[in-house]
Amino acid sequence: MSVAVMTASLTPEFRAGGTDFSERRRSGVSQGMLIDISATGDKMITWDADGAARIGALTTIATIATDARIAAAYPGIAASAQGLATPQVRHVATLGGNLAQRSRCWYFRRADIDCLKKGGNTCPSRSGNHLYGVAFDLGDCVAPHPSTMAAALLAYDATITTDRRSGLTVAGLLGDGSVAHADHTLAAGEMIESIALPAPLEGERASYKRAISRTYAEWPLVELCARVVIADGKFQLVRLAAGGVAPVPLRLSAVEAQLSGKIANAASIAEAAKAASSGAKPLPMTAYKLDLLQGLVRDMLERLSG
Amino acid sequence: MTTTTINGRPLVLPDDPDALLIDVIRDGGLTGTKLVCGSGVCGACTVLLDGAPVVSCLLPAQAAAGKSLTTIESVGAAGLHPVQKAFMAHDALQCGFCTPGFVVEATAFHDSWRATKGAATPSREEIAAALSGHLCRCGAYEGIYRAVAEACSGRFDGIEPIAPRLEARDKVTGLARYTVDIHHDGQLEGVILRAHVAHARITGLDLAPARAITGVAAVVPLLDDDNMVRFVGAPIAAVAAKDRRTALKAIAAIRFKPEPLPAVIGLDAARRDDAPIVFEKKDRKRAGNVSEGAGGAPVSWKGNVRGPSAPFSQKAKQARSWLDEARAQRNPLLVEETFRVSTQQHASLEPHAAVARFDGDQLIVHISTQAIHENMEKIAKRYGLPHDKVRVIADHVGGGFGSKGSVGLETIAAIELARAAKAPVRVAFDREEELSVAGYRPAAELKLSLLPSAEGRLKALSLTAHADTGAAVNSLIAGLARLIYPAEAKELVDFDVLSNLPPGAPFRGPGGPPMSFALEQAVDEAALRMKIDPIQLRKLWDPDPNRQRLYDWASGLDVWKNRKPAASQTGRYRRGIGVATGYWLYLWQTNSSVELAVEGGRIVASCAVQDIGTGTRSVIANTVAKAFDLEPQDVDVRIGRSNLPRGPGSGGSRVTASVVPPTLLAIDKLKAEITRTASRTPAPGSNAPWREMIAASPDITVSARRQEDGKPRPGVRPALHEAGIMGRVFGWVLRLMNHMVVGAGVPSSVQVMEVEVDTWLGHVRVLNAYTGLAIGKLAAPMLARSQAAGAVIQGIGYALYEARETDPLSGHILSGSMEDYRIPGIADMPKLDVHFDEAGFEHVPGGSVGIGEVATVPTSPAIANAIRDAIGVRLTEIPFRPDRLVAALKGRDAA
Repeated sequence: MSVAVMTASLTPEFRAGGTDFSERRRSGVSQGMLIDISATGDKMITWDADGAARIGALTTIATIATDARIAAAYPGIAASAQGLATPQVRHVATLGGNLAQRSRCWYFRRADIDCLKKGGNTCPSRSGNHLYGVAFDLGDCVAPHPSTMAAALLAYDATITTDRRSGLTVAGLLGDGSVAHADHTLAAGEMIESIALPAPLEGERASYKRAISRTYAEWPLVELCARVVIADGKFQLVRLAAGGVAPVPLRLSAVEAQLSGKIANAASIAEAAKAASSGAKPLPMTAYKLDLLQGLVRDMLERLSG
Repeated sequence: MTTTTINGRPLVLPDDPDALLIDVIRDGGLTGTKLVCGSGVCGACTVLLDGAPVVSCLLPAQAAAGKSLTTIESVGAAGLHPVQKAFMAHDALQCGFCTPGFVVEATAFHDSWRATKGAATPSREEIAAALSGHLCRCGAYEGIYRAVAEACSGRFDGIEPIAPRLEARDKVTGLARYTVDIHHDGQLEGVILRAHVAHARITGLDLAPARAITGVAAVVPLLDDDNMVRFVGAPIAAVAAKDRRTALKAIAAIRFKPEPLPAVIGLDAARRDDAPIVFEKKDRKRAGNVSEGAGGAPVSWKGNVRGPSAPFSQKAKQARSWLDEARAQRNPLLVEETFRVSTQQHASLEPHAAVARFDGDQLIVHISTQAIHENMEKIAKRYGLPHDKVRVIADHVGGGFGSKGSVGLETIAAIELARAAKAPVRVAFDREEELSVAGYRPAAELKLSLLPSAEGRLKALSLTAHADTGAAVNSLIAGLARLIYPAEAKELVDFDVLSNLPPGAPFRGPGGPPMSFALEQAVDEAALRMKIDPIQLRKLWDPDPNRQRLYDWASGLDVWKNRKPAASQTGRYRRGIGVATGYWLYLWQTNSSVELAVEGGRIVASCAVQDIGTGTRSVIANTVAKAFDLEPQDVDVRIGRSNLPRGPGSGGSRVTASVVPPTLLAIDKLKAEITRTASRTPAPGSNAPWREMIAASPDITVSARRQEDGKPRPGVRPALHEAGIMGRVFGWVLRLMNHMVVGAGVPSSVQVMEVEVDTWLGHVRVLNAYTGLAIGKLAAPMLARSQAAGAVIQGIGYALYEARETDPLSGHILSGSMEDYRIPGIADMPKLDVHFDEAGFEHVPGGSVGIGEVATVPTSPAIANAIRDAIGVRLTEIPFRPDRLVAALKGRDAA
């Protein structure tokens, strides 16, 4: 057992659906105490009078993916839930668990390699193989954040309530990507309880897509949740939240700003999509992610404005 | 105390919060639920939790508390479910290891579909989405699509299907028992301690702390006598304990000191002049072997580079000089390119596994192996036992693809632990072991020069292959280019580049797909430059009679005739058509024997051969049934036991051609014996005279050994004859040393692929695959089609998705999980058109030769050529991942 694993094992971990968690237990990356919250957690979706939803943290991904009212009000949330993992995993995996899951970095996932997230001093992926690493190099760890739902929640300005804090934004929950050792800002023993979504806007459309090599069931190289409001043929609102490219989900603010008020057509989208790389700092092996990101922006905005 | 209900019966769940559902299920004897990936991605462990499919490999056992579980054993227990019947009828399975998971998921899909949609037929897309959490390595997806669609449409509500695969019922009901499912009383679990460093000398190995742990029954060292480890994952010791958890605790307690040595990782680093040496001269014998059969002639070895090995070169100096001249003259027809292929893992869904036990002085070993008889001989030799004191058993084998041919470490560890513990021991690799140290098809760099003559013939070819063989030798890639496309001169040179990575192993057509990847793209490029139809150029350059007929078939395909001009599209999505050719050797094993008997009025066929999903049982049953006018189900086929008459290993596509001919001989003998011993003959005009005579026959046994082939037609020659005298020498050595004959006629494949490239997202989709195969008569037609389909999807994996990833500094295999080593899923299966040309092997008794390898050889270059056709850029390195596509479209080097 590495020093890293021993250090990590001092803090009890929560287990919700037990998908990512069980895998890390099997590999020996996670050891020590566990607290199972699957039976006691909040699994409810409730709705305000103004049409805003509150989703209990233990709601399964499959429930979110198939709930008709979620699909109508928050199509980007529903599509993101439909697009992640496999049907069997979606059936037990939870929204809270998806937000709090650990990194997919292949160095992190091996119990016999130390890394920054396991108490080590360096990132072995940065100096080694980072084919699936970040293209926005914001911190010492080069692994992208694994949560598809976090990107979707970012696109919707969702807020998160824990047993200790409320009104947390996605950035508040996950940080700015500069902190290498953790995948989120939750303190030891702090638990996500629910997620609140603002009421949907009039006439908004949204969707989600991931760029992968196979057709299904693959961790995204790049993923994007996009929302738009188009009126009189012009973009009134563009919200783009990308995953797979940075240590935290990223808003593509430069693209959003460029498109605001512009005619919603292929030419303006193609032009603005170039700004998706704004602020990017790719690693030697990850420049391709910026091409995919630009492609996804064009794909989704064309689709949503079609 | 918490309980669940499993298949209608109450079951107490363990209190241990870390207990996983799959262990509770399997430890309770319900072994139809399979553990494969352990990470929720392959679906083999799928069960129903209150009616909904979940992966039991990740589900905490406690999550089933108060709920109802359904496993494969209870699906259709009271009469087969329509999905099970459809799987059987459509041969939607091969090795069967993924089948229970697919069936459980598909029944849930079927039941909810029928409840809401009646008897409508779901689309391919709907089926693919529903089954996207499942993976099949044999590639039975085509049959699965058909089976699920027709089950949903109600076609299998009533009828009892006739399964073309003899053991299909056992596989769709979860009753088929694989090596990992064997459980003897008092059986212990063995785990191997492996090195975490790539190169070190181990000193001070102290096993005592492990022995001191309660529940540990035996600890044995596994280090080689030089005490060296040469790759991460090299074995050091093994432990047998009462359960896996105790065994893991014990291996962690073993003490040793690794004295680290400089390590070198991978093809490029290992070729540098200052690279650390992996095998000193005295240790070279310790390297593994990546080829089937014995090693070739002695080869020079410098540093980590073993070679050149060029036995199949032909006027090499002449080839060099013509190519130099063409280079100097800037001959526009000279095609020169460096290609790279990636490391492909076998990724068999059943891991390497063995269960060993001593019954008195008798050693009985269940092994997940492709060669039961040869394993028996080698185990007997290794431990100094007579053959009749070793029995190797493999009733069902969950895939092999070349990786399970030799006596593996799992078998050695299981035997030695069982001997030390005086108890049965099971050793089953976990997924990380399977995807790192269980062998692979080596990556390679292929430098190719191809020169057509002014008259448009093939003048000179040069191919130099450097294979990334890890701690192994004996790659043959370039040499295989001698046996196709005769030229005036060929320089074909192979090198092994050794480094501190696990040893490669034979993999489905060893050397064939990499050779074809380079050569078939070069031929395609030559056709473009010569402005000639690529199929017509192959017709001109390739005189093989089997392939000549396949070229005519391919030329006549609408998709080929109607293709657009190359690289003429500009939109986001671009479609392209590509063609490629492949061949493999027709091999058969000389000492294969088959025994036929009448026992109690039924025919029994026996042979010490194994069925790794390839359909051996069905091939034998079909052959016998046809001769006696019976149904295949009327024949009892006994295989999978090494004490039966010697059969071939399942490698080199040799099983069908090794067992069908002696079966035919035995049939003649048995007919004569039945007739001779018959007390009365059937009534004249009987519809089933043989059935009546067999039923009335006394018990009889006959046997026959594989006879020589008949005289082939003029022009039909063994593939090796293309290689002149060296080819013949190679053939003699194979016959003498390996009991294998390269027969006349060349199993061949021509494939046409239609792809769509998404230029924005770098995504390649194979839309339609057309595979033409000349492998003689089909001994089991539906199973041959399944093999052809499986070979195509495995080739698609090789071309588009699969790559082993390593850490370039430490030598750790990073892609040790099925999340990161990506084999194709059902949605990646294209629509498939299979054309069998059954001529060409009339000189083979029965007329059938093997299909497994030839069918996968040309897939990756056909896709490469289709991509070139679509986007006008030739990608030279597989897999064609999105990063490589977008880089190529931008003219940039990919990572």
